[in-house]
Amino acid sequence: MRRSTQLNRLNAASLARWVVMTALLAVAGLSYVYLTLQLHWLGDRQKALETTLAGLRKQNDVANVQIAALTSRSALQRRLKEGYLKMVPITDQNIVRLAPIHPAPEENAIRPVANDQVGK
Amino acid sequence: MRWNGRTRCALVCICFVLLFSAFSFRLVYLQLVKHDEYAGLAAEKHVYKQPIYAERGVITDANGEILAHNIPVEIVVADTSHLTKEKVAEAVALLSQELKLDPDELSEKLGSDRHYIVLKRDMPTSAADALRTKLREQDLHGIYFEHDAARLYLNGSMLCHVIGFTDFDHKGIQGVEASMDEYLRGQDGYRYIEHDRAGQEIVLYRGQERAARDGYQVHLGIDLNLQNIVENEIDAAVREYSPQKATIILMRPQTGEILAMANRPAFDLNQRNTAKPEQMKNRAVIDMMEPGSTFKIVTAAAALNEKKVRPDTTIFCENGVWNYGGRTLHDHRPYGELSVQNILVKSSNIGAAKLALSLGDQKFYEYIRRFGFGERTGVELPGEINGTIRPPQNWSKISITRIPMGHEVAVTPLQMTVAMATIANGGKLVTPRVVKSITTAEGKTVSEFSPSVVRQVILPETAKQIGNALRGVVSDRGTAAAAAVPGFVIAGKTGTAQKVDPHGGYERGKYVVSFIGFLPADHPEFVGLVVLDDAKTSKPELNYGGLVAGPIFSRIAEKAARYLDLAPQPDLIKPTAPGRVASTGASRH
Repeated sequence: MRRSTQLNRLNAASLARWVVMTALLAVAGLSYVYLTLQLHWLGDRQKALETTLAGLRKQNDVANVQIAALTSRSALQRRLKEGYLKMVPITDQNIVRLAPIHPAPEENAIRPVANDQVGK
Repeated sequence: MRWNGRTRCALVCICFVLLFSAFSFRLVYLQLVKHDEYAGLAAEKHVYKQPIYAERGVITDANGEILAHNIPVEIVVADTSHLTKEKVAEAVALLSQELKLDPDELSEKLGSDRHYIVLKRDMPTSAADALRTKLREQDLHGIYFEHDAARLYLNGSMLCHVIGFTDFDHKGIQGVEASMDEYLRGQDGYRYIEHDRAGQEIVLYRGQERAARDGYQVHLGIDLNLQNIVENEIDAAVREYSPQKATIILMRPQTGEILAMANRPAFDLNQRNTAKPEQMKNRAVIDMMEPGSTFKIVTAAAALNEKKVRPDTTIFCENGVWNYGGRTLHDHRPYGELSVQNILVKSSNIGAAKLALSLGDQKFYEYIRRFGFGERTGVELPGEINGTIRPPQNWSKISITRIPMGHEVAVTPLQMTVAMATIANGGKLVTPRVVKSITTAEGKTVSEFSPSVVRQVILPETAKQIGNALRGVVSDRGTAAAAAVPGFVIAGKTGTAQKVDPHGGYERGKYVVSFIGFLPADHPEFVGLVVLDDAKTSKPELNYGGLVAGPIFSRIAEKAARYLDLAPQPDLIKPTAPGRVASTGASRH
């Protein structure tokens, strides 16, 4: 009886050391798992944000192209032709005429500028 | 040996030691010796190099107006291994409707066991998003979307031959898109990524990464305002004269900058798949023509520069008919004595032939080459040709009398423009330029093209003498009174050459009419060339360079002068007398 009591006696200091060490290891392990999961979660967040950003960039690019297309020369000319746009005529005092108005040519006469209106 | 407890225990321990040693050796073998091999195999399964695509650079005109842009689009691809057989019919029904594809063809594609099938390219992002949602709703797998960019040309057919276009792989295959492809293309980047079984990237294991470098912006020297003037006039000319082909070029002589360049037939860059090859040719650089009388500027310049004659030296023009080498050479009018200046003004063939004879074959050929004929100008446009200038040893006996008036030679419209620009630029031949500069998207200059003088072809005083003579051409005395612009002195030369028959000889009744000139004659701001191939006039006798191409030049020059804010000379502003052309237009020159 005395012998068995002696054998089963626990060394409190040693046990405490083991418990603390195990607890530290457990905390370290759990922290590792937690931080790894955090990294994965943050990675997913990063990916999601990158996707959002790429989407916004794409929308921006599409909008830029649409603006460029709508303000392009050919688009403006088309709209002018269709009557969506109006041009304000320049007042007389602002016009510098290089070619004064010619008298009406005779019928069938050959004129140097035969198709002046066609190109406009 | 006694098998007591101690021995058995030792034996078990040895067995364990051996076993774990074997495991350890195997572990070391796998981790160290075979590491690279197995790491590679693992990487093949999970790691791949994800490309980061560079955006192609935009092309702008001289004022920064965008000509070619990129629009984000998506490519719809299918991986049939991810598409269950039961779902194929459902996928075909949806995709054929959404992508406007033939159901039978689609069914055949999706029924195969291929892993990568491109179903549709250039799908707008909004349409792709809508399709993505529908696929998700119907739980259809195996249809994926890849980001891509399509090239958008904002002005359709305007400047189509200069801008060019790209193929589906974004490689430039015509125009500036091809010649500047190296700069426009940019450099794709990459990123090593790992993905899980579901194909989702594991961001944590992202590897080496290199960012993409977007393509540079290419700024052309072409001014879209001037281009617009030219395009309107060339369209008007096509409507009025229905020529087979037409070309107009405007160029700044001092710098070689091409300010405008238009050809007909043309095509819409956004509908290039429907364009015919004939419409796609940039005739300014890949078409050869006999220049006709415009080539006389080269003859006269050579003779004056070699001091064989002076501007006022008179030459007997044989009263319009001259037999040389057993063949008769005609002038359109019987001229007697003409000064060198008047040979250009009246466009005398006989006079030009005699000027070339005074030089001799070799010297004349030398000058032709010095003016840049027979070699590429070096403009940044692909497919430019040399033209055809035969060396003197291949000339016939009469070649020396035919080449001076622009026969037996083939030149490109751009070569002819450059030759006239040489006269306008005091005898300096400058390389023509379409591209002005190359910058990054942020505006930092990467490369700037400064004027490049190739050589001094003729003396400045000779160039001035030719310029003075050419003023007479655009006067009541000359062949191109109709090319005049009130308020400005213009120097120019008309050309009318019978069309060369591809089967040999010339085509009867078909002409290539042209006018080339510069304005103002004293300090030229631009050189312009108008060429119409086989123009249809109401009367055949009206089909002359001075009557057809001259007025077109006049209208373009007047509008361009207004745009460039060139001050007109008040004393030169006078009404143009109607019918003036009729009296001087009898010349086919």
